Amino acid sequence: MEPIIRAEQVQKKYREDGNVVDALQGIDLSVRAGEFSAIVGPSGSGKTTFLNVISGLDTLDGGRVWLGGKLISAMTGSELSDFRRDNIGFIFQAYNLIPVLTVEENIEYIMLLQGVPREERRRRVEDMLGEVGLSGMQDRLPTRLSGGQQQRVAIARAMVSRPQLILADEPTANLDSRTGADLVDMMAVLNRKTGMTFIFSTHDRMIMERAHRVITLKDGRVEGDESKGP
Amino acid sequence: MPRTGFFIKLAWRNMLRNKRRSAIAASAIGIGLAALIFTDAFIAGMKNNMIHTATASFLGEGQIHARGFRTTQAPELTIRELAQVTKKLKDERRIGHFALRTVASGMATSPAEARPVMIYGVDPENERYLSQVDDTIKEGDFFTGEDLRELVIGAKLAKDLQAGLGSWIVLTCSTAGTGEISQELFRISGIYEFGIPEMDGGMAFIRLGMGQRMLGAGTEVHEIALKFVDSRDAGRKGLTLWQDLSAAGNEALPWTELLPQLKGVFDMTSAFLAVTGLILFTIVTFGIVNTLFMSFYERMFEFGVLRAVGTRPSAMRKLVLFEAGALAVLSLGLGTILGLALTAVAARTGIDYRGIEFAGATVRDLIYPQLSGRQFLIYPAAVFIFTLVVALYPARAAGKLNVAEALRRSL
Repeated sequence: MEPIIRAEQVQKKYREDGNVVDALQGIDLSVRAGEFSAIVGPSGSGKTTFLNVISGLDTLDGGRVWLGGKLISAMTGSELSDFRRDNIGFIFQAYNLIPVLTVEENIEYIMLLQGVPREERRRRVEDMLGEVGLSGMQDRLPTRLSGGQQQRVAIARAMVSRPQLILADEPTANLDSRTGADLVDMMAVLNRKTGMTFIFSTHDRMIMERAHRVITLKDGRVEGDESKGP
Repeated sequence: MPRTGFFIKLAWRNMLRNKRRSAIAASAIGIGLAALIFTDAFIAGMKNNMIHTATASFLGEGQIHARGFRTTQAPELTIRELAQVTKKLKDERRIGHFALRTVASGMATSPAEARPVMIYGVDPENERYLSQVDDTIKEGDFFTGEDLRELVIGAKLAKDLQAGLGSWIVLTCSTAGTGEISQELFRISGIYEFGIPEMDGGMAFIRLGMGQRMLGAGTEVHEIALKFVDSRDAGRKGLTLWQDLSAAGNEALPWTELLPQLKGVFDMTSAFLAVTGLILFTIVTFGIVNTLFMSFYERMFEFGVLRAVGTRPSAMRKLVLFEAGALAVLSLGLGTILGLALTAVAARTGIDYRGIEFAGATVRDLIYPQLSGRQFLIYPAAVFIFTLVVALYPARAAGKLNVAEALRRSL
C-alpha cells in the first residue's frame, strides 16, 4: 500500500540559550494509510517535534516530507494552512477547544473554513456527536463538559472534515485511566470504520498496547519500529 | 461571507470573555473619546465667549467708517451720506441696533498726569445696546444726568491720572479739517472696568454732541457700530448688506475683519485641540495595543490551535481586527454617552473661568460648551478607524504566529 507519510532524512535543530539542540537527526519513516500507530520515547526524544514537522506546523532544517503524495516541506504560508485544513486532524493533550464556541461551533469550525454548506455541516456534526457519544450536547460550552467529554469533542472536531491523517499528542495524558481507555477504544473503532490514519505521540502504555505499530524515538533518531498488525 | 460572520461572532465573544479587562480598556478609550468631544465643545464655547467678549464689549458685530479712516484716524474722514446710511440701517431687517460715534485720538490731562486716549463721542441710549461699558461701571453712572461735560473712563486710566469720580479732566484733540487744537473740560461721572487693559486704560467716553463739537464735525460721525438680530449673520462675509453699506466711499466690515487677531487666537485653540487629540490618541493607542496584545498572549495557545487546524494567516489577522472593532464599538458607545452627558451638563451650567485672562482679554462670562453633531460623527469615526489602524500591529503578529512555538506545551 502507498505510504500516506514519507519522511526522508528529516532534521530539526533548536537554539536554546545559545546552544544548538538536534531535535531530529535524519529520520527516515513511512506510514501507510489506515495505520493506528504510536510514537513513543522519553521526554525530549523528538516525538512532538516529529509530529510538528510532518504536519507542516514547524519547518525542517533538512530532509523532505510527503503527505498523501504531496511534498509538504516545500509548501509555505496559506498553502500549508489549506493543506492542514483539508488533510490533517489534530487532537491535543489539553483538548484546546475554543471556550467561547459551543460544542457544535467547535466541531463545525474546520468545515466552515472549507466552505461546507450550513445544512451539511449540521448533519455531519450530529453524526459525529453520535459517533463520540455526545448526542444532544451540541449547544453546550466546553466549560460545562468533563475532561473526557471535551476530548471527545476534540476527536469529533479532528475527524468531522474527514482528513486523511489524525495526529494526536498525548491525548490521554489529562484523563483518568478508564476515560483514557474508553477514548482510545473509541478511536480504534473509528480507525477501523473510517480507514483514517492515526498517529499518537504518547507515554501511555495502554495506547502502545492497542497500537498496530510502535515507533520508538530516542535523541531524535528512530530506535525501534515494531509492527503488531491490526 | 459565512466565515466573516463567524469571525465577527467569535470576536465579540472573545471581547466579552474577560469582561473586566474589556471594560477597563473600553472605558479608557471611551474616556479619551469623551474628553475629545468635551474639549471640542469647550473650545467652541470658548470661541463664542471670546467673540462675544470682543464684539459685545464695545466693537459691535460690524462697523461702518469712511474709507481710509481705520488706517489714518483722520478726523475729517467722516461717514459719507450719513442720512442715507442710517436710513438703510433702519430699513435692514437683519440689523437690530446701531450706534453713531465720533472717534478722535487725543490726550486726557488731570492736575497730576496726562495720558494719550481715544476719545469716543457716543449716544448713551443707543450705546447701551452696542457695548457693555454701561454694564461694567464700578463707580458712578453711564451718562445718566443732563450734564454735557460728563466723562466716563476706565479704572486704569483713572488710576494713571490719579483721578476719581468727580475729578475734572481736560480732553484735547485736533479739529477736523483745520487741525487746530481743541480742548474741553469734563468731569468724571463714571468709571468702568472691563478687565481688558486697552479698554480700561486707553478710552474716554463723552456725549456724541460734545465729540462733534470738539472735532468741529457738525452732525457728522466717524463710526457706526452694528448689532445684528442674529449674531451669526455678522460673521457671514457674503451678505450683500456689506456691499450695500460700503457705497459712496464708506467701508462696512464684519467683526471677523475688524479683529483679525482673533483668527490667530482661534488658530491657537485649534492647535491646542490638535495637541490634546494627539495626547489622547496616544493614550488610546497604548490602551488598545496593550489590551489586544494581552488578549493575544493570553490566548496564544488558542491562536496556535486555530492556525494548526487550518486557519490562514489572513484570517487570523482578520480575527484580531474584528476583536479591535468590537472593542472600538464598545468604547464608542461608552465614550459618546459619557461625552454627551458631560458636555450637556456643562453646556447647561456653564464653566466659570471668569476673571481669567486669555489672549489679552479677560473672560467675563461663563463658558458654555457647544454641542454639535459633528463632534459625535467625526471623533467616534476617527477613534474607530484609529483603533483598527492601531490593531494592525497585533493583527500582524497574529498572522505571523509561529504555530509550533505557540503549541510547544502540546502538539
